[in-house]
Amino acid sequence: MEQSVAARPQGQAGAEIGAAQAAYVGALIAQALAGDRAAFGTLIEEHYDLIFRTAYKWSGTKSDAEDIAQEVCVKLATALRSFDGRSAFATWLYRITLNAVRDMQRAQGRRGRGIGALKAVSPEDQPPDQEEATTTGQLWRAVRTLPEKQRDAVLLVYAEELNHAAAAEIMGCKEATVSWHIFEAKRTLRGLL
Amino acid sequence: MSDDDFNSLNAIQPPEPSPEAKRRAIGASLMAFDAAEEARKKESAIPPQGLSWRERLKSIVPHLKGNWIMDARLSIGTAALVLVLLPLGYQLYSTTALTQPHPVDIKTPPVVTTTPPVLQPVTTPTQNAHANNDALPSTPTVPAGPIAGKDESGAAVTANLQPPTSGDVAKPEPKPEPMMEKPSAPLAKTLNEAPAQPVNTPALADADTSTANLPTDGLAPVPATEAGRAQASVASGGEADLAAAPPASAQVSGGIVMDKSMAAPTMAIGARQATTPTGDKFANFTESAQKAVATDPVSTFSIDVDTASYSYMRRSLEEGRIPEPDAVRVEELLNYFPYDYPAATSADTPFKPTIAVFPTPWNSKTELMQIGIKGYEPPASARPVSNLVFLIDTSGSMDEPDKLPLLQRALTLLVNTLPAEDTVSIVSYAGAAGVVLEPTKASDKTKILNALDNLEAGGSTAGAEGIELAYQLAEAHKLDGGNNRVILATDGDFNVGISDPAALKTFIKAKRQSGISLSVLGFGEGNLDDETMQALAQNGDGNASYIDTLSEAQKVLVKEAGSTLDTIAKDVKIQVEFNPATVSSYRLIGYETRALNREDFNNDKVDAGDVGAGHTVTALYEITPAGAGTTPPVDPLRYGSNNAATPAAVTPADGKNGELADFKLRYKLPGSDTSRLIEQPVGPSMVVDNIGNASTEARWATAVAAFGQKLRGSDYAGTMSYADIGQLARGAKGTDEDGYRSEFIKLVGLASALSGPDKPSNTDVPLDKPIVN
Repeated sequence: MEQSVAARPQGQAGAEIGAAQAAYVGALIAQALAGDRAAFGTLIEEHYDLIFRTAYKWSGTKSDAEDIAQEVCVKLATALRSFDGRSAFATWLYRITLNAVRDMQRAQGRRGRGIGALKAVSPEDQPPDQEEATTTGQLWRAVRTLPEKQRDAVLLVYAEELNHAAAAEIMGCKEATVSWHIFEAKRTLRGLL
Repeated sequence: MSDDDFNSLNAIQPPEPSPEAKRRAIGASLMAFDAAEEARKKESAIPPQGLSWRERLKSIVPHLKGNWIMDARLSIGTAALVLVLLPLGYQLYSTTALTQPHPVDIKTPPVVTTTPPVLQPVTTPTQNAHANNDALPSTPTVPAGPIAGKDESGAAVTANLQPPTSGDVAKPEPKPEPMMEKPSAPLAKTLNEAPAQPVNTPALADADTSTANLPTDGLAPVPATEAGRAQASVASGGEADLAAAPPASAQVSGGIVMDKSMAAPTMAIGARQATTPTGDKFANFTESAQKAVATDPVSTFSIDVDTASYSYMRRSLEEGRIPEPDAVRVEELLNYFPYDYPAATSADTPFKPTIAVFPTPWNSKTELMQIGIKGYEPPASARPVSNLVFLIDTSGSMDEPDKLPLLQRALTLLVNTLPAEDTVSIVSYAGAAGVVLEPTKASDKTKILNALDNLEAGGSTAGAEGIELAYQLAEAHKLDGGNNRVILATDGDFNVGISDPAALKTFIKAKRQSGISLSVLGFGEGNLDDETMQALAQNGDGNASYIDTLSEAQKVLVKEAGSTLDTIAKDVKIQVEFNPATVSSYRLIGYETRALNREDFNNDKVDAGDVGAGHTVTALYEITPAGAGTTPPVDPLRYGSNNAATPAAVTPADGKNGELADFKLRYKLPGSDTSRLIEQPVGPSMVVDNIGNASTEARWATAVAAFGQKLRGSDYAGTMSYADIGQLARGAKGTDEDGYRSEFIKLVGLASALSGPDKPSNTDVPLDKPIVN
């Protein structure tokens, strides 16, 4: 995951780099808000990978992930104005991306292609973009069938390797609640796997 | 599912996004950005819609806004609704378990009247109420009435209690009856119109109504329970309304309250509270009935060494309430006390039954058969090593002085007595379950005590999660041949997680088979789910104790630690077969929740109670000797081969002629799955003809059983008064080293005071004279 280090709130690249990165992103946001088109373009370009990767992990297919990423980018054009700087930009971006994932999956559910149905078809219809025949793939698919909150908690903590506090900030709940969701998820998965 | 499994999730490598998708996204995003910028520019050009600032300011002053009809701010309907709902709400609030029964303030404002009971006929409620109260501010008040908690109709009735009108109406109209029948009025009507209470009546609503049952002279209080019952029956009849005039306590000018009436209100209050539900839950059960030996010669039950019911009853009585009938389980009362039965001598035959038969003090026609057994007490050195997991409820409801803090002190007592090689772990649960203390040897007391001290209450309860976690810990450090036990300490709340008691029971049963047992310690009041506690402990091969004071904790966890923690026999069942030639009918006192089928006795798969080291278990049968001149409880059958229905037809085998019954006891040694049998016939030599000649322990058990039955309002309680019970108990106190028996005698006195004056003792059985059958 080295390529994502820069964009992470809790990256492994050290505090100085994190701080410098944060200042740089902050400056870009300020310019974009002032109407600087180029600054906005750079901001999007730098974070597109993060958005796409998150969307992919949550949705599991490349085409869905691309759709979601595009939607998030479009949303950012207006939503950026509501970014208040209280949390790190990446944290805020996670939240927006997760919301977009949820919205899309709900919309799919409404269109009669339930998440369950999608999951049942996807392995055959859409050949996996990587080796998913491994147990990791199975686990990953199982995790994506969990209830939203539990899935979010597990993926943020284990797939994104954030700590519980950061995951709690993204999910907008308390740290203990994240731990609880993970505990619940483990219990549910014990039955599934 | 472990963390390692989940950690493999980070191995997922998302593919690189395709460049064209990225370009498309960025393009779309930039277009959206442009559009947003455009919109923003336009927006700044358009003046804001709505009123200018002066208009806005104006709108905060209603007078300036014009007086069209929609703006009328006085909502008469709402005001009327509030007038109705507020009293109703207060009524509900003050009669639910949310409110502690608060001590009634006897202080009354200096009202210079001796307000007499005034009977106010409300045959036509509306007109009358209006006519009488025109001059008075009409405040619909709904005080907490004597039986307000019982049911809604009861509340309606009490709402009708009319306080005397204004202070200057000093016409004494003494009224002999506290209540009177009147045509019914619907609830809403009654609430709304009838109780127009004058402002200058003695202040406290509670005090008013609680004294309502007192005669004006402040002398002997009306047995308030009876009054309450009568009221309830009237209410449930639904045909009559009450206008009991509250007589106000006898007040003297200057606000001095006469001494005599001081005691009376408290009593009346106690009786009132007797019917107030506490919020604690108890399983319903009906008393076991008398059975005819001819048709039903065999009685089978599982022993019960729980004592929770006694502690709960004690707490109730000490708080001035008669406990609910279902909270009183006679067998738990009996087994609360240590009895001085001869102990068994070896671990192989861990029981020695003691049986005696003597006349029943509350019924001259019957006799009592007392069965006492004492478990073997292994020497301290032979105690198995324990692996204890404390599962502690730290939910918000535990944040009361008699819950978590008491629990902490109680467990401190226990930890201090544990031998060094024992293991202790602590799991707490509230919201989410967590391990507070990893398994620690008892030698490291400081660490354990620190962990205990750091517990804090907060959050909701997830009892089921906690139980799983606790069992995991217990299993991880399971000691073969040792005592592996989860000790659940809770106020009985299992409202999150697997809240289905049946699922919990199954879970605990499964764990029991893997060698881990469960004991339950109950704390506090108002939230206690006695039924679940009992069920969990019974399924977990453990016992349920209710801890209300530190001395109770001392008794359960220190003095009787052996019996609480160290099981010497499992699945102990008792079966008694009565001889139809000598006994015509019998009744097992207590053990209603522990009854077993006859065939369960020999079935080793059927679970039953466990006995700890040194535990004593007592059971009493009330038996009617054959030919005792009583009406047989069951008439002989006319058809069918029922020769046995008449005692004369029975020809028992030789040598067994005089026997009353045959006592059998089955038990399993710990770690064994096959039961063993102890058998002992009850012969004539065990019969004494005067209760005065019965052993101290027998008389004590009799007194406790009589008390339990009386508290339960049992049909079989007979004519014994509390005073008689107290007298019998005092005579059987024995040495009573720990003071448990003295405490019981005090409780008898308390119950007697709370339930109003006893009817004069008209027991036909003199306690100190021989009884001739």
